[in-house]
Amino acid sequence: MFVCLCNGITSQVVADAIAGGASTTKEISKACGAGAECGRCRRTLRKLLGTPSGERSG
Amino acid sequence: MSPAPRSHSIVITSDYRVPEPERVWPLLQSRKRELAEIGAQSVLVYTSTHDYGRVMVTILVRSREPIRELLRSRVFFEWFDAVGVEDIPAVFAGEIVKRFEPSPRLDAEAPGVIVAAMASVHDIPMLLDEIGAGLGRFTAAGVRKTWVFRAFDDGHEVMILQELDDEDRARKWIEDPDVAAPWIAGAGVGAYPPVFIGKFFDMMRIEE
Repeated sequence: MFVCLCNGITSQVVADAIAGGASTTKEISKACGAGAECGRCRRTLRKLLGTPSGERSG
Repeated sequence: MSPAPRSHSIVITSDYRVPEPERVWPLLQSRKRELAEIGAQSVLVYTSTHDYGRVMVTILVRSREPIRELLRSRVFFEWFDAVGVEDIPAVFAGEIVKRFEPSPRLDAEAPGVIVAAMASVHDIPMLLDEIGAGLGRFTAAGVRKTWVFRAFDDGHEVMILQELDDEDRARKWIEDPDVAAPWIAGAGVGAYPPVFIGKFFDMMRIEE
């Protein structure tokens, strides 16, 4: 999923940033650029902060 | 001189909540020219049957632009502004990989209910095999069509669009999904929206 349309950042890239230690939306922006421009994707970033990484079904 | 990049078909879908769902369709129609400029060929709108204000919009685009450039287009931002969406939702971008459409039953002429889900699965080719092998069960459960889309940015990500006979069967399908429908459990996780249950509202074709 493309989370940050301004910078074309995907949910995978955000998950990697979180796995690398980012624990706030500001830290995610610093790590990968998501949410750094208009900031209108921060709600999704907050949702991703509460999700264990790598969840797959099937 | 390097050759111009080839155009490719992209399915772009987003699922979000708007304050006034009745404004979505006229606003889309008023943006036909802008949509044509980014290579949009058709736009489909689905509205939730049980969740007022929730809509799912799918745009089929043919473009030479890389997907990231396409999504940065002002058309999308202006669109979200126009319909009153402040928090921009995550967007699925991918392509169709398989359509499962068993012969229509004579008693299935009434418009069906759409169940859509985006999720991460272990193995997409295996999933296609499992759906193919389970089609008899799908049909018995009221599933008329299953369309599988694969994301460009993630080799595990799918969007599955299904048409079922009616709302009751759609709810049963979600509450107790078939073993070959693991994506239902994966919807709502992380950036993925919860399973969408709705009806096809309208479709707009856009001339090039």
